[in-house]
Amino acid sequence: MTPQTELDAQVSQALAYRLTAMGDDELLLGHRNSEWTGHGPVLEEDIALSNLAQDEIGHAVMWYGVRGELDGSDADDLAFRRDPAQFLSSTFVELPRGDWAFTMLRQFLFDCYEAESLPRLARSAHRPLADAAAKAQREELFHLRHTGLWVKRLGLGTDESHHRSVAALTAMWEAFGALLAPLPGDEQLVGAGVLPDWSTLPAAVFARVRAALAAADLDPGEDPVVPPLAQRNTVSEARTELLGTMQAVARADPEAVTW
Amino acid sequence: MRWEVFKQDTPKKAHQAVGSVHGADAEHALLNARHVFGRRPAAVSMWVVRADRIYSRTAEELAAESSAGADGTDTPPATGTGPRTYLVFRKSSHRRSMTFVEHVGEVEASHPRDALVSAMSRSADGEGLAWWVIEEGDVHRSDPDAAESWFEPALDKTYKQQSQYGTVAPGAGKRSAS
Repeated sequence: MTPQTELDAQVSQALAYRLTAMGDDELLLGHRNSEWTGHGPVLEEDIALSNLAQDEIGHAVMWYGVRGELDGSDADDLAFRRDPAQFLSSTFVELPRGDWAFTMLRQFLFDCYEAESLPRLARSAHRPLADAAAKAQREELFHLRHTGLWVKRLGLGTDESHHRSVAALTAMWEAFGALLAPLPGDEQLVGAGVLPDWSTLPAAVFARVRAALAAADLDPGEDPVVPPLAQRNTVSEARTELLGTMQAVARADPEAVTW
Repeated sequence: MRWEVFKQDTPKKAHQAVGSVHGADAEHALLNARHVFGRRPAAVSMWVVRADRIYSRTAEELAAESSAGADGTDTPPATGTGPRTYLVFRKSSHRRSMTFVEHVGEVEASHPRDALVSAMSRSADGEGLAWWVIEEGDVHRSDPDAAESWFEPALDKTYKQQSQYGTVAPGAGKRSAS
């Protein structure tokens, strides 16, 4: 593969869209996890989940940064000064944090998705994207270790933890399928080598998830449906509520020169 | 359950006791240790040991026991019999604000107290203010193959100094006060 530095305008636009969607997913998931800060079951888990939250938010900054190199956009503007209708996050990360089982299983499913997506992105012909993916991948392996351990504990723990896990999986399963749907413009990115092996992604993610859930005595039923094309422009109530909280301080003084 | 955490900063340095975490089992404790003590640089390896599996003696306790003829009845129960390997840790200074109980080596013995006596007799390179003796099987170590994922990302997460934040000179840019 030849390293590509110059992208044609259409590919560049499609890549900016994808980077925004990926950044929005990481940012909103990080924010949902950060809602546990100060509420974790023990101090160590409180710190751990806050760490995971910061890591995901750090990855959002990274994806926004790769986009910024394409079109000059600014990460803070993207995070704090866009309206809900301009966000491209998936419903999966927007859903309220729920209980501990919901939060852990969602983070686990997202980690499984990234365990498959990041190595593919690391082979992208667009070097800045490949480098960023390789960097995030290191950290995600550790995340998967942490959330994987919790999935086992929750699935094999008590009747209550098992039931809560099943309920959480049921509640997020359809949205998990939608998370993996191709974005508008992905076809062009695949054609340009910016997204390698993308059509194999959902099956690989589900196989990974299924194996881990089976080891935890959790059966999510059929694989969720992956829609042919993602609909990321729909503004959910959860997205509006989340952004209302997350952006409140930044928007309190729109004329501030710096924070 | 409480676990003591030992962190190694570079491959050439000894593991040092840095604090403790709660954990339901060794794996959980190791993950928590990584979160609590390994988020910032630098670490290359971590060990956790159940706090109640550590045979610890200060210099004062050793002196008192030796004059009273005590035999260290509060030692953790041995798993099996016969000689085994013990890891020995020592604190040898009060000088710095951060003093650590540091890994100084291994000895073969049948009992932690014998291990300690043996370690003290060989250790002429520094004063022992406090000693910890831990049976090798009680030391749970981070996976060297996973070190890149566990510890290297922290190298990019340095503390942001105050001076690195953007500032605005008084009166500049902001709308003028009315």
